[in-house]
Amino acid sequence: MRLLVVEDDPDLNRQLVTALGDAGYAVDTASDGEEGHFLGDTEPYDAVILDIGLPVMDGVSVLENWRRDGRKMPVLILTARDRWSDKVAGFDAGADDYVAKPFHMEEVLARVRALLRRASGNASSEMTCGDLALDTSSARVTVDGGAIKLTSLEFRLLSYMMHHKGKVISRTELVEHLYDQDFDRDSNTIEVFVGRLRKKLGIDVLKTVRGLGYCLSEPDDQS
Amino acid sequence: MISRSSLAFRLIAAASVVSVVLLIAAGILLSSLFTAAVERSLDARLQAVMDGLLASVELEKEVPKINNVLADTRFEIPLAGWYWQISSLDGDPARQVASASLLDERLPLTQFMKSDRRPGNRMSGYLTDQSGNTLRVIEQRFTLFGSKEQYSFLVAGNFDELQTEVSAFNNALIAVLGLLGLGLVAAILLQVRYGLRPLSDLQGELSEIREGEQERIAGSYPDEIQTVTDELNLLLKSNTEVIERARTQVGNLAHALKTPLSVLTNEAGIHGGKLGSKVSEQTGVMRDQVSMYLDRARRAARAKTIGSSTDASDVVRSIVRTLERIHVDSKILVKASYDTDIRFRGERQDLEEMVGNLLDNAFKWTGGKVAVGVRPSASPIDKRIAWIDVCVEDNGPGLPDGGAAIAMERGKRLDETKPGSGLGLSIVSETAAMYGGKLFLDKSDLGGLHAVLTLPAARRGDG
Repeated sequence: MRLLVVEDDPDLNRQLVTALGDAGYAVDTASDGEEGHFLGDTEPYDAVILDIGLPVMDGVSVLENWRRDGRKMPVLILTARDRWSDKVAGFDAGADDYVAKPFHMEEVLARVRALLRRASGNASSEMTCGDLALDTSSARVTVDGGAIKLTSLEFRLLSYMMHHKGKVISRTELVEHLYDQDFDRDSNTIEVFVGRLRKKLGIDVLKTVRGLGYCLSEPDDQS
Repeated sequence: MISRSSLAFRLIAAASVVSVVLLIAAGILLSSLFTAAVERSLDARLQAVMDGLLASVELEKEVPKINNVLADTRFEIPLAGWYWQISSLDGDPARQVASASLLDERLPLTQFMKSDRRPGNRMSGYLTDQSGNTLRVIEQRFTLFGSKEQYSFLVAGNFDELQTEVSAFNNALIAVLGLLGLGLVAAILLQVRYGLRPLSDLQGELSEIREGEQERIAGSYPDEIQTVTDELNLLLKSNTEVIERARTQVGNLAHALKTPLSVLTNEAGIHGGKLGSKVSEQTGVMRDQVSMYLDRARRAARAKTIGSSTDASDVVRSIVRTLERIHVDSKILVKASYDTDIRFRGERQDLEEMVGNLLDNAFKWTGGKVAVGVRPSASPIDKRIAWIDVCVEDNGPGLPDGGAAIAMERGKRLDETKPGSGLGLSIVSETAAMYGGKLFLDKSDLGGLHAVLTLPAARRGDG
């Protein structure tokens, strides 16, 4: 899961990036509206955390431009202006949720989880695939009730696949959604991660679709 | 009808006093001119009689005699006020002759006995006869043929007979002048009414501005008042601008303080420990202080705003739309009915905060159904003006018995399990009270809370 944080305050920006990174997301960051708009327009983010009061180009305009260009990723707006007119303006511009400043980081994390879940069509925070279960709120992965210990990148990979259960995901797409933009990308490493993840899970849910990519689905009873 | 301190009173009083004084002066002048004219014509008639006397008088041993009787019979009616008398200057009764009307009376010559008189010089004056008539008298002296002595010729007419003519004239004069005076006063009243009407028009417009039905003085006025209305419009504009600026600054302050507060809160959360928890606690206090003072600043800015009106249905609709997006997962069924052209007499932001808090509560607590209505008030607080109702219902748990009063207290929360500052309903009822409105809490037919917000309506407007 790859996120974009657009926030002009350097301290808050750093805190958001750290907290989201700790929660297992790949995070890109921008410190003004124009840069944020460009990144959101060109990179495939799973969700965006967007401050409303931004220099160069304000958050509402950024959001309006994205929506006009057909960018549909869920957007969580952060706003110090918590009057209803500001909320209405934010939602009318295309926001999916908002958090009023000052906020606790847990609240932002919870809203982001909810947005991602909503985007993938899941109602509860626990997603399952056969015996495999992933709880997004506690970041716990279990197989048949037993906890599995994953590295952050493995978790990110599994989480993305769980959010897109039953869909074929290409390696390029995985790369785009697992790493932030500064990472030295190499699609071959994906195969290594997939292999390690399969070994740790011990069940056959992550299948290779030849020539296309990977697909997460319930294990076949026959195999 | 017209107050003593009014401009109309001053204008009418000043104009009336001047007109009345001028009319009285004109009356006195006209009356005295008429009296003088009457006197002159009487004198002319008396002079004719004297000329007749002079033509028919002759001396017989120093005693004047009249040869033929005068044609005018009035000089024969006894003591009727018409007399003539010719007498020697020594006052000897034997050398006097007089009209029959005088009988044996004689008119006194004392007032004409002045030493420096030249012969032929006529004198005139007034006398009173035996029967009390006021007499107009002319006297002239002539030296008659056959004597060196001068004789006094005196002719008197009854002035009282003319006095009735004078008073008839005076009566007519008073009537005419009185009518003229009334006409003038009516004209003044009309003029003042017409002249001052733009002022009452202006007052009407100003009270409409105060009531939020218009934003500026729109009508065109006479030049003298137009300058004042132009200034007033500028004043209104700068008033709005000052408030707008104050609000912007309040918003900027909020933004400026809330971001560092977020940073502090989160940093303290990460580090934990004694210092961390102290910082968390204090940033919590700071956060409450900031929102309290922002709230106050908004109120202060708001108290001075005049002349705005807001489309209530539009506000409610946009907030419902926003809340539906926020609660998109909860599948809440919203039943809304918006009457058209329902305008709230007040600031859009205030209505947004009130309606936002009510609807936020409804969406937070509902069991899946929310009903919203905007309509003219069913139970107006004060029948003299129009009111609107914003009704919000849900099928949540509602309030416990007697909970309504507590719910509207500042900082009180009846249920601590859902997030909130406990300011929601108290802000709604305080803001409503500021506009003279009221928040009623009741049990809904849906099962939950039924909140009715009654607020003053604006009849029309462009705010």
